[in-house]
Amino acid sequence: MSDTATASHEDGHASLIIDNKKLLMWLFLGSDCMFFGTLISTHLIYRKLYPESFEPTALFSLELTSFSTFILLMSSFLMALAVSAMHKGELKSFRRNVIGVIFFGLIFLGCQVYEFAHFVHEGLTLSTNTFGSTFYMMTGTHGVHVAIGVFWLICMYFYSHTGKMDAHESAIDVEVAGLYWHFVDIVWIVIFTAVYLIEFI
Amino acid sequence: MSEAEYHPLPVATESHKDSETEKYHAFVNLALGLAAITGIELVLVYLPFNTVFIFTVLLSLSLFKFIAVIAWFMHLIYDKLILTLAFGTGMAIATGTFIALGFLFSRGNVDMDAITGF
Amino acid sequence: MSHTETEIPTPETTHAHEPQVLKPERSRLGLMRPDHGKSVIIDWLTTVDHKKIGLMYGTIALFFLLVGGIEALIIRTQLAFPENDLISAQRYNQLFTMHGTTMIFLAIMPLNAAFFNFLVPLQIGARDVAFPRINSFSLWGFVAGAIVINFGWILQALEVMGLFQASGPTAGMNDFVPAMGWFGYAPITGINFTGAGTDFWIMGLQILGIASLSAAMNFVVTIVNMRAPGMKMMRMPVFTWMTLVVSLLIVFAFPAITIALGQLMFDRCFGTNFFVVAGGGQPILWQHLFWIFGHPEVYILVLPAMGIISEVLPTFSKKPLFGYSIVVFSGAVIGFLGFAVWSHHMFTTGLGKVATAAFSLLTMAIAVPTGVKIFNWVGTLWGGRVRFSAPMIFSLGFVWMFMMGGFSGIMHSSAPADAQQQDSYFVIAHFHYVAIGGIFLAVVAGIYFWLPKMIGKMWKGNLSTWVAIFSTVGLNVTFFPMHFLGLLGMPRRTHTYLEGFGWETYNLVCTIGAYILAFGIFLLVVDIIRCFRSGEPAGNDPWDARTLEWTTTSPPRVYNFAKTPIIPARDALWEHKYGPENRRITFEDDHGHGIHMPSQSWMPFIASFGFIPLGLGMSLMQAGIPYMGYFAIFGLVLIGMGVALWAIEGPGGYHLHPEEDAI
Repeated sequence: MSDTATASHEDGHASLIIDNKKLLMWLFLGSDCMFFGTLISTHLIYRKLYPESFEPTALFSLELTSFSTFILLMSSFLMALAVSAMHKGELKSFRRNVIGVIFFGLIFLGCQVYEFAHFVHEGLTLSTNTFGSTFYMMTGTHGVHVAIGVFWLICMYFYSHTGKMDAHESAIDVEVAGLYWHFVDIVWIVIFTAVYLIEFI
Repeated sequence: MSEAEYHPLPVATESHKDSETEKYHAFVNLALGLAAITGIELVLVYLPFNTVFIFTVLLSLSLFKFIAVIAWFMHLIYDKLILTLAFGTGMAIATGTFIALGFLFSRGNVDMDAITGF
Repeated sequence: MSHTETEIPTPETTHAHEPQVLKPERSRLGLMRPDHGKSVIIDWLTTVDHKKIGLMYGTIALFFLLVGGIEALIIRTQLAFPENDLISAQRYNQLFTMHGTTMIFLAIMPLNAAFFNFLVPLQIGARDVAFPRINSFSLWGFVAGAIVINFGWILQALEVMGLFQASGPTAGMNDFVPAMGWFGYAPITGINFTGAGTDFWIMGLQILGIASLSAAMNFVVTIVNMRAPGMKMMRMPVFTWMTLVVSLLIVFAFPAITIALGQLMFDRCFGTNFFVVAGGGQPILWQHLFWIFGHPEVYILVLPAMGIISEVLPTFSKKPLFGYSIVVFSGAVIGFLGFAVWSHHMFTTGLGKVATAAFSLLTMAIAVPTGVKIFNWVGTLWGGRVRFSAPMIFSLGFVWMFMMGGFSGIMHSSAPADAQQQDSYFVIAHFHYVAIGGIFLAVVAGIYFWLPKMIGKMWKGNLSTWVAIFSTVGLNVTFFPMHFLGLLGMPRRTHTYLEGFGWETYNLVCTIGAYILAFGIFLLVVDIIRCFRSGEPAGNDPWDARTLEWTTTSPPRVYNFAKTPIIPARDALWEHKYGPENRRITFEDDHGHGIHMPSQSWMPFIASFGFIPLGLGMSLMQAGIPYMGYFAIFGLVLIGMGVALWAIEGPGGYHLHPEEDAI
């Protein structure tokens, strides 16, 4: 999806304020705020209504979740470096960092798969109660976002080997992918606090 | 073929590289900070402090992480205001809706007898 | 400009008048791009031209307007007499559900999208939208959603003929057309209460939502980025401004319904408990999530109409729009406040005193910017040289009829009054005055105003006056008595009624009105066909209009403007024609580059075509048809493949060198 859409077809447009793709991505992220806002709202509303229906502290492993939070934050750091490298035109450094991001993203997904499997084993499924429904759907949607991001970055990594990347256009493409990745990270920051940590107070 | 046509990105000049180096240091510091905050959060929930206090601290730490990633990693402070507006509008509407929904639902309105599932 | 010149590989160039010289190129996939082909069908399927896409949106939307209209006529015929049994209660439910869904998502929204597509790039002086291929994706996504949502009719017909029965998860429930109202309140949408019709509705709306979202983001980027030099934000036509506001509303409102539909789908397919009462689910949550989307949706429908009116009134009054900046600002305020009033649809659910009071006040507040606009329109007419051409007649009708819908709307904002009116025919009267008296009349005004630009032919005769008379009389005869019906206590969505409540006469009058309105719409269709068949050439500017789209030829050429115009003022063409010397539109020199045109592409079509197997597969699976899960996965694969190839094939493009034209 690196160049899903063409850039402008106007040759040098005077009122151009910002790159088309970047603006599109930020709008998408604004929209995605509402998307995750609705999911997190649903979860917290049902937690507020039925606090006694389920005791997640017995199930949650805060160490594991903190670890995956840390992993995701560090992947965000590497992503920022990858974008920076691309802007400087340093393809090698870009590849190194992107591999790191992909690796950390996969670790995060692994943690999530392990967590889901563990929870299901302990008896919490989608249909157990409202907690199961909201929790799996919310974190699952986030996981799908991570998976799409990882897939996108893998595509970019291979694309960088084709020699077709040029410093100008591809820097924007990488930056847009980076914006997406960081957004996935900040959603997790919110989920980590609002869904996991708060249960332990 | 139009790909190369249209990019305001300057070729990497020396000053550009300098600013990227500056950003690099900002990124490293921020990454360390974020890691530290996550550690603090993890410890904090187990400490025997007042619940409201812990809740407030957790909320502010998470807010700080949230804003820091947006501002630096996502380049928002280096970028045009219109991007902040685009994202900020979505964020504001989502937050407002979340708060309103939080107030609109209360346990007093729930008929617990109708729920047979738990 | 300068630093990019060197990087452009030399394209195949030609003069616009000899297009046969252009040859299709290979994309990066090695496949031939569908440019410059001889097949008209392939050309329209793969087009990325915003004008063709707009025309297709308009045609399909008009078709669905007629479909929804026929559904409404059947409903009204059923209600003409007490205890009528023209159709069964179940069929009646399906008809009103599909009437609402069709009119909102398949008729009005795409009609608005047709105007957005055709006009916005022309009004801001752009070559095309920012992402032409995403635009094509949005159009075909809309078509896919429309097919999925209407597919149930086929199954229903088979069921009536005794050829098909539901099995599997919805065994025994043979409602294949959605039958739970257009807002699909839980818990009736649950798997225990309704059959596969609900699944078609969920999947169809989900697909339509994706199409709308992608289109909306595209338009925001277009309007922010693609304006011609000098076209500052506060010089844009009001229609473009309203497009921007509406697009932002779509961007921020649709995710709520996406999630709500997703949760409902999980409830039905995977046994979650979001809206299942026994499992702790709260049906009221669906209402909240739906109206968080649903109320902005109301403004998504009506703001483009206001934009059209704000273009037509100044043109036919020969005066600038009175209070341009206030009109723009109040449009934006309406949009923003639209997110803060959703619970006024739910006053009778018992929100609590504080919430009811707050949403009541906010609802009253949102009437203020709307009222401001009405005064601005009247102010535009005041002292103007008013010409009663067809678009103007419909616009004046809009102002009046929309105002009446607005008044009953303000009555709803008072929670105690609303408690009486909720779910009665009074509400029906209210929103049909807004929808038909407001949006429909404005859209017809828009059609009369811009169709000469779109197809290059001018209207013949004055059938338009009869369209106006029949549709305005028809809508008043149909919907005004509904106010009284509502106050007399007739509930909406009632299949039939008994004698003796005093409803008989009103209902009969409503039904007669519906047929008058239908005749008006029939005349409109006749008039459009007449215009297509035998209209005289329209010329660039048949109405002596004010904005930039009238500087191009009718119909506009594929590249819109031979050279990028430089905009000196608001109402650019008017200033150019009648303003001082220093306000003439000038043109940018392109240094012989020509105009860069995007290549056509199959990929958006393929990607959005994948929605059909995905949506149908998920729904038919619920009706117990075997292997449908694989069909759905096939759809997903198709979408993924389409998007991937779309990314790899590269944007392509070629250059045209049209002759310069004078205004």
